[in-house]
Parts: sequence; structure tokens; C-alpha cells
Amino acid sequence: MVFQVGQSQYLDAIHAFPVGIGIDTGDILRYGTVSMEMPNRYKTLVVILLAAQSLFAETVKTTKKRAGLDWWSLQPIQQVELPPTTPWVRNPIDRFVQAGLLAKALQPSPEADKRILIRRLSYDLIGLPPTPEEVQAFVLDTSEDAYEKLIDRLLASPHYGERWGRHWLDVVHFGESNGFEYNQPRNNAWPYRNWVIDALNADMPYDEFVRQQIAGDILAPDAGGTIAVGCLVTGPHNTTKPQNDTMRKTMRQDEMEDMVGMVNQTFLAMTTNCARCHDHKFDPISLKDYYSMASALAGVEFGERTTPLSRDAAEKMAQAKARIDVLRSELAALENGAREAAKAQLNDTTSPTGPTPLAAWNFNEGLEDLAGELDVSLVGGAKRTAEGLILDGKGAFARSRPLNKPLAEKTLEAWVRIRNLNQRGGGVISVQGRDGNRFDAIVYGERESKRWMAGSDRFVRYEAFGGPGETRVNELVHVAIAYAADGTITGYRNGVPYGKPYKKSLLKYPANNTELVFGLRHGTAAGGNRMFDGTITSARLYDRALNADEVMASAKSGGILTVSEQDFLAQLTPAQREQRTGLIREIQQQENRLDELKPGKVWTVKPIKPAAVKVLARGDVRQQGDVVSPRGLPAIRTIDADFGLKPDAPDGERRVKLAHWITNPENPLFSRVIVNRVWHYHFGTGIVSTPNDFGFSGGKPTHPELLDWLAADLKVHDWSLKHLHRLIVTSATYRQSSAMNVKAASIDADNRFLWRKNPIRLEGEAVRDSLLEIAGKLNSTIGGKGYRDMREYKYKGSHFYDPIPQTEVEQFRRTVYRFSPRGAKRTMLDTFDCPDPSAITPDRAETTTPLQSLALMNNAFVIRMANATAERLQTNHPDIESQVGALFRKAYGREAERAELHRAVPFIEKHGLPAYCRVVFNSNELLYVR
Amino acid sequence: MSDKTPNFSRRELLKFGSHGLTGAALSSILAQTAGGAVHSSHYRPRAKRVIHVCLMGGLSHLDSFDYKPELEKFHGKELQYTERPATFFNKIGLIRKNDWAFAQRGKSGLWMSDLFPHLATVADELTVIKSMVADSANHTPATFQQNTGFQLNGFPVMGSWVSYGLGVETEDLPAYVVLPDTRGYPAGGTINWSNGFLPSVHQGVAFNTTGTPIPDLFPPEGITAGTDHACRELLSEMNRNDLHRNGTEDALLARIRSHELAARMQLTVPEVTDLAGETEAIKAMYGLNRKETADFGKNCLLSRRLLEKGVRFVQLISGGSFGSPRINWDGHEDMARNHGREAMRIDQPVTALIKDLKQRGMLEDTLVLFTTEFGRTPYTQAGDGVLGKGRDHNMYGFSVAMAGAGLQPGLAYGETDELGWKATENPVHWYDFHATLLHLLGIDHERLTFYHNGIERRLTNVHGYVVNDILA
Repeated sequence: MVFQVGQSQYLDAIHAFPVGIGIDTGDILRYGTVSMEMPNRYKTLVVILLAAQSLFAETVKTTKKRAGLDWWSLQPIQQVELPPTTPWVRNPIDRFVQAGLLAKALQPSPEADKRILIRRLSYDLIGLPPTPEEVQAFVLDTSEDAYEKLIDRLLASPHYGERWGRHWLDVVHFGESNGFEYNQPRNNAWPYRNWVIDALNADMPYDEFVRQQIAGDILAPDAGGTIAVGCLVTGPHNTTKPQNDTMRKTMRQDEMEDMVGMVNQTFLAMTTNCARCHDHKFDPISLKDYYSMASALAGVEFGERTTPLSRDAAEKMAQAKARIDVLRSELAALENGAREAAKAQLNDTTSPTGPTPLAAWNFNEGLEDLAGELDVSLVGGAKRTAEGLILDGKGAFARSRPLNKPLAEKTLEAWVRIRNLNQRGGGVISVQGRDGNRFDAIVYGERESKRWMAGSDRFVRYEAFGGPGETRVNELVHVAIAYAADGTITGYRNGVPYGKPYKKSLLKYPANNTELVFGLRHGTAAGGNRMFDGTITSARLYDRALNADEVMASAKSGGILTVSEQDFLAQLTPAQREQRTGLIREIQQQENRLDELKPGKVWTVKPIKPAAVKVLARGDVRQQGDVVSPRGLPAIRTIDADFGLKPDAPDGERRVKLAHWITNPENPLFSRVIVNRVWHYHFGTGIVSTPNDFGFSGGKPTHPELLDWLAADLKVHDWSLKHLHRLIVTSATYRQSSAMNVKAASIDADNRFLWRKNPIRLEGEAVRDSLLEIAGKLNSTIGGKGYRDMREYKYKGSHFYDPIPQTEVEQFRRTVYRFSPRGAKRTMLDTFDCPDPSAITPDRAETTTPLQSLALMNNAFVIRMANATAERLQTNHPDIESQVGALFRKAYGREAERAELHRAVPFIEKHGLPAYCRVVFNSNELLYVR
Repeated sequence: MSDKTPNFSRRELLKFGSHGLTGAALSSILAQTAGGAVHSSHYRPRAKRVIHVCLMGGLSHLDSFDYKPELEKFHGKELQYTERPATFFNKIGLIRKNDWAFAQRGKSGLWMSDLFPHLATVADELTVIKSMVADSANHTPATFQQNTGFQLNGFPVMGSWVSYGLGVETEDLPAYVVLPDTRGYPAGGTINWSNGFLPSVHQGVAFNTTGTPIPDLFPPEGITAGTDHACRELLSEMNRNDLHRNGTEDALLARIRSHELAARMQLTVPEVTDLAGETEAIKAMYGLNRKETADFGKNCLLSRRLLEKGVRFVQLISGGSFGSPRINWDGHEDMARNHGREAMRIDQPVTALIKDLKQRGMLEDTLVLFTTEFGRTPYTQAGDGVLGKGRDHNMYGFSVAMAGAGLQPGLAYGETDELGWKATENPVHWYDFHATLLHLLGIDHERLTFYHNGIERRLTNVHGYVVNDILA
């Protein structure tokens, strides 16, 4: 076939690069009057490889155009002399910074005041504002080590891992959907996020932290390593696979490029992926190097694995269980007294008798119908004890004699204990035709987990009541459902209405062909999800729909009366109530912990048996060249790039070798890159301004000696990142004021030499977390599955993610726990530069735009938080001035000034406190950390 | 290379908050706040703004712009290529002739089929490239490549690059607006108009077709206009007090300014999206009075209004996600039904848009793009020896159309082989298409770069040649 091409395309082809898809060996390329035949593939490749070799020979020395093997970042870590000290100096960091400043005739700024320092440290280390009490305590603490104590407290906080884990997730582009056409959610990717948070909180040595993320499933399969390697498969993954083989192979190569790029940039700041199609244009990395690295990762496939239940996890589970037992008994002790008191009070004020039932069973006494003739018999292992009717959720149920008259309007009622809160679909009491097809029943958890519903044949009389879910195992609960003549169906729990009634048609049951079953949703035999697991203490059937008063009276007269939560909460002192909330929250946390520890599906590396990797000329899967063995980058000459592996080595060996090669203490990039990355987040810019690129295209270090000193120091301190943080934030450099200095700025506008601390705008996550914290709504649960602020739906094969309101406590968690799929609809977070999880983000933009202003002014979440803040302030503070004062302390960490109060009071009188809170949320003083 | 280039300092500029630029740079920061132009033109720009009609699913070039009489001759025959074609479903049925008749149109004699009878009436305004090639025959990677130059998620789309390169003409509206198909978002959702690693100000802003055009434009119910106004006044005052108290900072000034711009956006957006002021004649021209054309017609009319107000890049999407039953151009099963339905929706509105731009003198400096991620196969998607009704994906050769500023109108450029399978003459890759687009906007595609994650990124990666032959 003859192709007419442009001049440059023609020249490309002459230089042995085939042009474009669809052009092949033997095709003719024609440019103007000249033409050439495409050489055969093998020859093409040889020419390319020869060209690569010769190019490489030239790259030993750095030139104006590219880096050679003498490039600064590839050299061993230097032993450096500390520059002289001065009175300003607090630790070695300052000596280097001081020297840099002196060389530019710059002076450091004075130390910031204590209120600024605590706010700065708090946001920097845990991503949340300090509480007014913490500010006060720090300001008043005049002890010499007040600052160090503060740092220790913050670094010990579990919120530290959340804050710094988020930074890490940016770099590894953690996303929770596949991207591309189908964009399926990754519902089980969250354990990796939690693994990162936990590892940072535990101050796992950085080299171990990295080894686990590359080969943890082999190195430490029992200690979370299988989760840790989720790092390698955070990126997009196309599951729309064409039938065509070439297309599929190309897609795999795209994935490999993303993976090789991510690994090398995250840990080594080398843009190895640039060498997929040709030798790196700027750095000493060849096409062959790229494919050798790709070979090391060739066994990585995307997927899910069930993590093994390790000894470690078993131990933690036992601890959590023991703790839950303790907490539960504490809670019981606290509640029992109050419950008794409430019950006593209630019994004093109520009549002992309820409405008259058609049938009544006290199973704790017997199986007889106390009101009529509907005696009950046991089936399939059901037991009757002093506790009541014991059902096992499998085969056990009980069945009454047939009802000898018709039944239409009715009320079903039962007192019941649930053994397993997560069971779905068990019936407690059911009236049904004797064939078990048509029925009305009190059903637990069928349509909505943990909630009660009116069960019926094919859900024809079903709607969600919208009542609360059950939270306690084996707690005695009273449930009733009334079916009125006009079709209205009303649910009750513990005597009070359960959610909202709704209207359907009423089903009429004929005489002599109707019966009651217990523990079975409907039917004539056990099976399926219809069986209830728990104990029924007593039950009632009425031939009319009871009204609310009657149900309450019945609930109270049942003899086993349960008091409403409201009633017994009233018996507790505020302190006890707070203690109770604390206990419940901790139980919840421990239960989350248990959930997390259970073996389950995790989105992670699903290893495959890797084929031998071949060099692909121009990255084209049809142009296969030499087979390569897995190995590291030879440009790093301080360590041996050779893994000693054959091209067909198994996946595990490849990744283990890679992990050890990357984390080799003599690998100069490995330590330099992480200290620079940490520095970058503390100061807004790294010593090298490009945290993911230490190559020719990246920045050069402003303080090369400091970088090496920090790198060496980290190794000496067992790769402890907390040590590194402590060192940085205790420096005089970090403690400088952020005030502008026009003269200094005229010399060093970008503040690369650190004549002040850069002011930093809160990231989107910190904005959201702060609003929650100020509003008193922050749900500070650590770990667990995370929350969703979006609705996921599937439409024509593709998954979509639309924002939903954030109104539930589960959603009021820190933003790091947000489910983060790719391609979701825009949220407030996007406008605040939270990165697209498809893009590797070593360095976030910090932009200011009108859409960002609109989001923070008008987003429903912001308004909701403003309302909640106002409500809280009004509850705790009597007058406007003290409300504003408290708001300032909470939001800004300082007292409001007279003038500010004078301005605030008339505004609030006219527009309300929520409006004022909204303004504070949008103010620069809140959004910037000085 | 570390101490260099205006682009690098631009990147620093974008991070002004953490770098603390001095007063001298303030004016450019404020320009940046509004997405202002930092790149001055590399060439004399021929176009100032772009409207992109993006057909999702793969428009059949064989049934629209690329007339192949040989298809009729070989209709129902087997493909005679020596190489088995690589297609998405790998089902190679018999060759099928075009389902719509072709004719030469207008003075230029441009070949177009009856698939787009309205568009055919403005054939003399169109520039058709018949020799497009892409690197993927898989919808989403191909769509990503069409829009970003890359097949992966996470790269900025054309609209974002143009916004980054040229900034806005108005501060009252986003530089890059997307009008999704009313039947739903395309597969991948907002990835299709992602700013990727460019600053978020360059993100495509999808306008809702019902309700408030953009999220959070106005406060939720319960906040009166009076209170809203008072809030903004107080905020401005508190922010200025903060400058007094804690010192001036350019980023803080920019934030104050951004609130003013937000307030202006609140006025402009409802105004521009309100079509009530348009004459009945205009509405009818866009097809607002017909059920089949009303949805896309509204979007076309809105596009014109946005362009008039100074929006730099408007993207109109025709087609939603890819599953069945189809709501896009993916005619695997039945070309006649599928393309017939889709063309009906857009033919009149797109034509009206071109005519309307022309009559307002805007076509001279507006570039209209009418593109799709790939074409379709000359043979049907059916078993061996079977003549099916649908066609599979074809990345080796397909057509796109353009109109407006700086182009030679009435021109067809490039050729595919006799059956329309592969581009044979003057193949144009997406890289070349993007290079040409930027060229028309006065930008050298090799110089529009953004440093990200170790690489000076370009819309055209390391490729791209301007297709000079189609330029006026």
C-alpha cells in the first residue's frame, strides 16, 4: 500500500521509526516525488537499538541538553560539614538555611507568635484546627519544652496518619473506580487507604513502608502486606477489552506505563516512563531500562484478593472483642439504672391494661393462646424456654392453629430480641393463607439492613417506613404494625410510631384458611432468607388497627415494658449522657475495627505468571525486540541494578528484588526523594521544587547540602518519618513568621531561600474538615470503610457518580475517608484543587477562582455547617457577643476584638448567626494558615 | 532546564499562595484569577473561540462524508484484503454499501450524503478531513485521544488547553463550557472534560440543561438576597481587615477579587442561559419547535450565546454512554436506524448554528469542530459470509468536519483506500488535528506546555504536524 506523508513523517520513517497505525513492513511511504519502502521489522528494531547504544555512550557526562551519569541526584549521599551556628539557629537545618540566606544577603523573619504557631502546627501535622482549649493551654504554657510537647502530642494523634496519608494518596493517585468506559467502583480499595494511615501513625520505617507497598504480599502476607501492595494498582484500569489481540496488548502496555511511571516517580523521582517509546530525551534511562523495570512489575494484574487472617490480625481482633465486652458492660451498668428508674416512673403513671387482643401469646410462659384458640406448635428445632420462643434463623419456626373467622383490619405485635443484627429478611410474626403464599408480616432487615418493615407477598403492601435501624444485639424491642380499613399501614417500635405510615390496599383473609407463623416470613416449610434468628418473648394479634395511644398502652402493659430512649436519657445527668455517647462511639469504632480485621476482599495486586518481557520499539506491541530480565536502573551506579533473575522469573521474586533494590540504603534517590517530599508539604515547596522529578527536567536543589544531610540523618534514625517531621518543625526556619517582607521579596520573590514561612491555603480536605470541626459535627472515627457523598448508578453499562446531600453522621467523617471514584460530578472539593484521582499529583495547584468562591458561599454542605455552628453556639453561649467570641476562638484561634464585635452584633441581629458563620467560613483568615 | 521558561514561572505563578509573589506580579495574578491569558500568541490567530460538536460512539464516514462508489460494487461481497482487519469485535462480515445516497453539494461540489440534509446546505462552509487516523478502536481511549491526545485518564482536554493557552475574553463566565447530551453523560463522566493536571480553573464547566445552570451558583433556599448581599459586604470588610492585621498577600487580594467575579457570574449566567429573548424565527431555525431537534437545538443556541459573551471553548456532546439500547452513534447493530435517529437530532441545529454564526459575522473568527472518536468499517459486523446491518469501529481511516476561521471552505482533504478502510493519502492523526487547531488559535503546539510530574506536557505529546494544506 502506498502512503502519502508529510516531510517530517517521512524523515521520521527514514530514521527507522515507523509512522502511524496501519503502516507496515513493505508499505511504500511517499513524500513529494521521493518514496521509500518500509524496512522489515527486525531491521528497524536493530537500527533503533544501535541508535540507542550510541546515544547512551554520549550520556556519561551531563550536557546542556541532557543529564548524564554524573547528574547530581544520581551521586552518592555526601557527608556534609555543618555550616557555622548563630544565635538564631535551633537545629542543623537552620545552619544550612542561614548560610543560604547570608549568601543572598537575606535575613530570617522573627519567630511567629504562639497562636499562629499552634494553628500552623495543628493544620500541618493533623490537618485540623486546634481547639480553643488547646490554644489557651499552649499560650499559657511557659515551660521550656512547651513547643516540643505540642509536637509530640500532634505526632502521637491518630489524625496525623490521616493528614499525611492524604498526601501519600495524591502521589500514588489512589482512586476508587476503574476509570475509562465502564468506570466500575472499587468497593474494596479502602483497606489500602487505611493501611497507609495506620503505617504512618505507627511510624513504620520508611524503607519498610515502601517494601511492603511493592512486595508486601510476599514479604509480609500475614501483616497487611497483601493490602499494602494495593499501591501498585491504584491507577486507572480499562476493562473494556476488545476482541482484537493487538489492541488488548496495547492496553496492557498503557497500564504498565502508568505503573512503572508511578513506582519510579514516587520512590525515586525518575521519569522512567518517558523511555517507553525511545531512550529518555533528558535522563540516562534507555528504552531497555524501561522494559527491564516493566519486567519487574510484569506479574502485577488488577483485581481482588481475600486477605489472610494473620496472627497479628487475630490478636488485634481478640483485643477489640475484649474491649467491646468491657465497653458493653460499662454501658449496661450506666443504662440499667436509668432504665429501671424510667420504667418505675412510667409504671407509676400508666394504666396496667392495654387493648383487648384477638390472640395473645406469652412464650416465656407457654405456647397457648391466652385470649383465643390459636395455640402454637414448634417446628424444626424451635425451643420454648423462660426467655421465650427461641428461633435459630435456619429451620426453627412456630405455627398456630387455623383462625376460624375472617380477618381484614388487624394489628400484629411482638416483643422480640434480635441475635444477629445483620440478618436479612426473617419474619417475626406473620398472618398468612395456609398455603403460605399471601401474607402480612413483621419482617426484619429484608429490604433495608437493620430496619423493620411490613412484609407481604411480592412486596405489594411494602414501603419503607423510614424508621431507625436496630443497633443493639439481644435488646428487647417491641414492634407492632397496624393495618387499617382504608389501607393505611402504620409501624410502631417501643410503643411509638416507627417512621411514617403509608397507604396500600388491605388484604382480607378468609375464615378457616388462615394461620399465624412465628420466625418464618411466610410459607409452609423453613428455608431461604425468611427465617428469623432471635427470641420472641410474647406476641399479640388484634382484629382491628390499634391507634397510637392503644399501641403505647399495650407496649406498657406487655409486662416486659421497654422504655423509650428519650425516657431513660432523661434519667441521666449531662455528664452521664456524654459518657454514654463516648461509649457508644467507641463500641462503634471497635466494631469497625473488627470489620476491618476480618478477612475479606481487597482491591490489590492479583499476581499473574508473567511472560518474558520484550523491548518494544516505539512502544509498539507489534515490534518486539530483545527479551529483557527484570532489573533496576543502571544509571544509579551506587547499587547493583542486576537482580540476578532470568527473564521468566516468577512474579514474587521480581517484586521482592525490586523492593530491595529501591529501598537499598545506598540508593541515593530513595532517601533524598522522601526527605524532599516531606519538606515540600511542610513548606509548600521542596528543596527540589519538583518532588517527582530529580532528573534533568526537574528543579535543582536550593540547598543541596541540607538535602543530603537530611537524607543521611533519616537513615541514621531508622527511616523514622516522625523523627524527620520533628526535626523540621522544631527548626527556627519553620518557626518564622509568614509576614511579607517587601525587601526580601524583591531579592527572592518565590521565597526559595526561606526568609519567611510561606502562608498556605487550606487544601479542600482541610476546608471541609475544619467546617465540620467548627460546627461540632466532625465524626472522628478512624479507619473503616469510609463514606460516600455520591450516588452511584449504572446506566448502559457505565457507572456514574452524582453528588448527594451530606446529612448523615457517617458522612461527617474526615475527607480522607471519602469514596473517591474517577469522573464523578463536580463537587466543592474539585474547586479547591483536590486532584483528579487519575493524575499523579506530587504537588497540588493552589488556585483562586470564582467557582471556588461560589462553592464555599453557596454549597448546601457549607450552609448546613453554618446552621449547625450557629445552633451549637446558641446552645452554649447566652448572648451574641459571647457567641461571636467563641466562634473566633474556634475558627481563628484568637479573641474577637471590640470593633469586630461591634460590627458583628447588628449584622447578626438583622441576618442571623448562621449568616455570620457563613461569612467566617469564607474568610481569608480561616482559609489561610500563616 | 530547571531554571527556565516562561511556563515554569507560570507554574510558580499559579501557586502564588505558597510562593508569595510581590506587588509587581499582582496584575498578572488577577488576570490568572480569571483564567487570563498568559501565553501571548505565537502566530496571528485566525480564530478566537471554538465550538466543538463531539459525536460519541463513532460516526460512519462511509455514510456521511467519504463517498466510496466501490462499496456499492462490492456490496454483499467478501473483503479482499490480505491482512485480516483488527476490529473491536473481530467479526468480519460482508461489505456493505452506504445506507444514504451521496451527492456533490454547493458550489464546491463537496461530497456529502443524505444523512445530513441540512448540513449539506452549508457544504461550502465546511472543511472535511477524510483521512483521519486514531490509535485505538476502543471508545473511551479513542475519545480520550480525540480530546486530550492521550488514551489514558487524567490528561487535560482540548478545551482546558485552550483555556490555559488563551484565557478568557470575559471574566463573567468560565472559559470552557460543556453542554452534555440531555440523555445523559458520556461514559467516564466528567473525565471527558477534565482539566487533568492543569489548574482547576481550566476544567470544563458542565451546564445543566434544567434547573440552575451550574451548581452552587446561588445560595440554597432560605437565604434572602438581602442577607446574601450583606454577607458578601461583611466578608469583603473582614478580608480587608485581615490584610491590615496580618499583612498584605497577593493570594489574599486575589481571593477578594474572586468574590467580586463570582457575583458577576451570578448575573451573567442566568442571563446567558435564558433563551426567552431570542426571536421565534431563530428558535425555529434551531429546531426548538420540533421534538426531535429541540434538545440539541437549545444547546446549539445556548452555545452561540455563550460564544457571544466571550466563552472561549464550548463543547456540545452528542451521545451518552455506550451500552444498549444505544443513545449515541455506535451503530453496531443497524446503521440506518442508529445514524438516522442520531442525525435527526443534530442536523438542523448544527446547521442553524453555522448559519447563525455566519450571519452575525462570527464565523470569521470562530472555529467549528465536528468530530468523532473513530469511523466505522466498510464491512459489516457479522459472521463470516454474512451481510449485517451494522458496522464495527474503524480507527484506520475516518472523517471529521470543521468550519470557520482560517480554513479553506468547501474542501475535502485526504483520502482513504477504495473501500474507505484505511487512510492512504495525507493521513492526519489526532496529534496533527490538535496542532492545527492550536495553530488556528495562534498557538504553536510545541510551545504550549505545562510542566507536570517531570514532563513538559503538551496537547500533542511529542508529535503533531500542522495540516497546512487545509488552511486558508
